[in-house]
Amino acid sequence: MEENTEIPELVEVIPETNSISNPVQEIEKLNIEGNNKTPDLKVPITIVTGFLGSGKTTLLNYILTERHGKKIAVVLNEFGESSGIEKLLSISQDGDLFEEWLELKNGCLCCSVKDNGVKAIENLMQKKGSFDYILLETTGLADPGPIASMFWLDDDLGSDVYLDGIITLVDAKYIQQYLLEKKKDESINEAVRQIAIADRIIINKIDLVTSSTLNTIQEQIRLINSAANILRTEKSRVPLNFILDIHAFDAKQVLTLNPEVNTLEPTTQSNHHIEEDVRTICLSEFPVKTIDMPKIERWVQWLLWEKTISTTFSDKITILRLKGILTPISNPDSRIIIQGVQELYDLQQVPSSNNDEIIEDKLVIIGKNLDYQKLKQSLWDCMNWS
Amino acid sequence: MSKVQLCQGVGCTEAAKLQCPTCLKQNISGSFFCSQGCFKKNWSTHKLVHQPALVAEKTYIPKFSYTGTLRAIYPLSPKRQVPLHIERPDYADNPQGISMSEKAEKNSTSIKVLDKEEIERMRTVCKLAREVLDIGAATIKPGVTTDEIDRVIHEAIIERDSYPSPLNYFEFPKSVCTSVNEAICHGIPDRRELVEGDIINLDVSVYHKGFHGDLNETYPVGIIDEESSKLIRTAKECLDKAIECVRPGFLYRDLGAVIEKNAKANNCSVVRTYCGHGVHRLFHCAPNVPHYTKNKAVGTMKSGHCFTIEPMINLGTWRDRHWSDNWTAVTEDGRRSAQFEHTLLVTETGVEILTAGKNERRFIPDPNAESNNYPQNNV
Repeated sequence: MEENTEIPELVEVIPETNSISNPVQEIEKLNIEGNNKTPDLKVPITIVTGFLGSGKTTLLNYILTERHGKKIAVVLNEFGESSGIEKLLSISQDGDLFEEWLELKNGCLCCSVKDNGVKAIENLMQKKGSFDYILLETTGLADPGPIASMFWLDDDLGSDVYLDGIITLVDAKYIQQYLLEKKKDESINEAVRQIAIADRIIINKIDLVTSSTLNTIQEQIRLINSAANILRTEKSRVPLNFILDIHAFDAKQVLTLNPEVNTLEPTTQSNHHIEEDVRTICLSEFPVKTIDMPKIERWVQWLLWEKTISTTFSDKITILRLKGILTPISNPDSRIIIQGVQELYDLQQVPSSNNDEIIEDKLVIIGKNLDYQKLKQSLWDCMNWS
Repeated sequence: MSKVQLCQGVGCTEAAKLQCPTCLKQNISGSFFCSQGCFKKNWSTHKLVHQPALVAEKTYIPKFSYTGTLRAIYPLSPKRQVPLHIERPDYADNPQGISMSEKAEKNSTSIKVLDKEEIERMRTVCKLAREVLDIGAATIKPGVTTDEIDRVIHEAIIERDSYPSPLNYFEFPKSVCTSVNEAICHGIPDRRELVEGDIINLDVSVYHKGFHGDLNETYPVGIIDEESSKLIRTAKECLDKAIECVRPGFLYRDLGAVIEKNAKANNCSVVRTYCGHGVHRLFHCAPNVPHYTKNKAVGTMKSGHCFTIEPMINLGTWRDRHWSDNWTAVTEDGRRSAQFEHTLLVTETGVEILTAGKNERRFIPDPNAESNNYPQNNV
């Protein structure tokens, strides 16, 4: 009987009072709940990078099972690579782990500023209630730059999430080998990129190497990224306040941040100021007390966007990270915090700190083919400093 | 409170604890039955209440949490075909409508400088896109469905040996975006008839000889209220004022402030989720052009850059929602939204509006203007 086959099986009537049979209604309800949320309660996202074997999973498990009373979501894998695929997500609440599928929807017809990954996380928060914290674990070989850019959202987008910081784990035993690996296209290898972009670096598995090797490793890492705080550990056990809620992209915290940068002086780079490898350069000791912001912004644009600042090298400068603190002419009682990830940069104005310790104006640049003298010269020229 | 439901079966007075799953899906209420047997007996008459066969399961909207009064009227008409002799963009035949060439450039912020020949191609395709939009706009009147507008536009594009860029782009099912009233953008043409007093945006994109041209305009349907006229005027002004800034050396990130200032001065808000974009061989690429004030957009305008500005301006909140069709963006408060878009070419001295209409300026500054002493830009 052909006709019978198209007759569907009846389903049970569910009383309306606690109806969940209509998913649309449920979504409606959740959306409304989502709206009532206080807009100020943004959820921090920390990006965790590191090669296979560096102890990322151990670190994440350690964080998840620790009794911190927070509802933490761990987003595994990487966004941006594939679209329309569901990703596995682990959520931990009070030490209990459960898993969720994260649904990545199609891209949009015209450019949408929020990436699918950001939207997927926002949608999940609307459905499942907000999290207190989100950890985003990249695949070992990932370049964290694009992922960081994706989550470093404009404030005006009113997203429910914000980028708190980037953590990189390195495997003490193999990192030296990884750092030396040459890419076929001469581009910067991922191990170096991960270190260069990090706000916090964890040297893990230190029990597997001698203390002199460890010092060498730390020195190599420090050469690449002098602006990040470094911590040594054995089994990914680190104080949570070293990696969570660090507000690396947040102007409110930046005055007390970067203690390493504060001690970083140009003289420390004198012995390696011509360097093709990824290095940190600090421009400071400006001849003026206050800075013409539009002018210096133009220089930053040359550096990050136009890549027209000359070097001694055949290749152009590649900037992975930029941080700075400046005193603007327009309002000398305030400070301008400059943050950059690859081509993106942002300025935030904050009131001067009341701290006794006054941080000198400076620009910290992490990138490849940096030539200290030429960078300094071009900045001085641009600013008409003699 | 839940009352006892009676079976719908002819002559049956039993209490019913079961219901038809198809009706449930289609939001048809009152389809209760006492048993599968009774349901089966009544099937031949019951099934008539179901909506007619759908084009595809995924294009079916059971019910969405609509934010205003606009409703999708399904099913959609069958997918329109493009004759094989017409050159197709790479996503036209991709099963998910993904453009591999766009994907390859996804993380790039470097903005292409078009050469002379490429600029000529852009001029051609943008002229075609303008013709098509005007043809589509001429069909707007009460009683016309958005699907009919899609048909007219689809055919006009094909007549011009071109491919309708939206068709199958990330599986968009139609050849133009029609966004009515509270729809901000990406509305899918369907069987809804336009009503006197509506406003409708037509977003036309055309692919011709390897290049895309992209423009949109918002039109009144018959006589509209004063508030809607003002909204449309404001949206057009926002675009015009932003275009006046375009010249070598201007920062893409600074366009948003111009747009937002004008919108706010007219008590309107600016949608933030969608941006203008680079357009040439790729439908969407760098630069990213946000329409809101504080943004980190990358890039300085240079002669030879081609991109769109397309501010979406709302009467109420700037916040947007998506219908479950995965496309239609609507205002969260259900109030109206209007948009205008041009494809622009940065010239040595300013800008050429590639998609300009008959009564619009094409060049800023105007090279034919009597006092031709506009300031040169040396950046």
